[in-house]
Amino acid sequence: MALSDADVQKQIKHMMAFIEQEASEKAEEIDAKAEEEFNIEKGRLVQTQRVKIMEYFEKKDKQIEQHKKIQMSNLMNQARLKVLKARDDMITDLLNEARIQLADIAKDPARYSTLLEGLLLQGFYQLLEPKVTIRCRQQDVEMVQAAVNKNIPIYKDAVKSNIVVKIDQERFLPSDICGGVEVYNDNGKIKVSNTLESRLELMAQQMMPEIRVALFGANPNRKFTD
Amino acid sequence: MASQSQGIQQLLQAEKRAAEKVAEARKRENRRLRQAKEEAQAEIEQYRLQREKEFKTKEAAALGSHGNSAVEVDRDTAERLGRLQDSYRGNRSAVLGELLSRVCDIRPEFHANYRVAG
Repeated sequence: MALSDADVQKQIKHMMAFIEQEASEKAEEIDAKAEEEFNIEKGRLVQTQRVKIMEYFEKKDKQIEQHKKIQMSNLMNQARLKVLKARDDMITDLLNEARIQLADIAKDPARYSTLLEGLLLQGFYQLLEPKVTIRCRQQDVEMVQAAVNKNIPIYKDAVKSNIVVKIDQERFLPSDICGGVEVYNDNGKIKVSNTLESRLELMAQQMMPEIRVALFGANPNRKFTD
Repeated sequence: MASQSQGIQQLLQAEKRAAEKVAEARKRENRRLRQAKEEAQAEIEQYRLQREKEFKTKEAAALGSHGNSAVEVDRDTAERLGRLQDSYRGNRSAVLGELLSRVCDIRPEFHANYRVAG
């Protein structure tokens, strides 16, 4: 044999050492790689989850902000409505009082007859009809007749045409209104409502901006008044 | 020869040991990767709890401030209503007088474009 037993043993020992060395190196390699992968994987997992959590809480924060804003807006709205309602109630109160005082005026015969004359003439002028029917309260019939008699010549003179006036004796206005008249054309299809109530309503509506400014003061937010 | 088979045995055993060493290293590798997941979970949970705490404080603060703003708004409204009432009471009779005088001030006119027929 070329190699003695001792040589063979030496070779074998070398080969064993080599095998062991390889194994150790391989194991070290595996460990090192494992460590690196560990860090990468952990870092990756943490980062992705972190981002998700951050987004989640940012969204929730925004929700809170929104919620706050909505509640604030609701509060302001309620407050504004309260003030507006109060103003509306005050105006209603004013108009009711006006109606009561108007009723008192109508009880004064001198003033009332002047009023009736004006209301009637205005009604005639609005219609400009040759035949006219008047509705009034039952208790006013005499006063109305007197007023009509006064007005017919004035009308004829101003308009230069004739007018025939009839007082409707069957259908009267309800007695509980303040007063005034309704003037109709001959077939009853055109009506001029000149009762004191309707006049009050008309005046109130037309005067409403003035009333508001007088009662509550000018609007500080308004920029143009022309 | 007897020495040959002994030598081969030794080599085979060395191989076996080497394979075990490598297998153990791989086992460690797996464990390490699993650890990575667990440790990541733990860290993330930590972070989440911290954010949760911060959020809860913010929420409580927001709720508190809402109560305050409600009180403020109510106070402001009451003040406004008070001013309104005063203004109304002060100007009421004047406005009533003006309204009624206009109601009673009747000016009968016929239309500006009216022409007598014929």
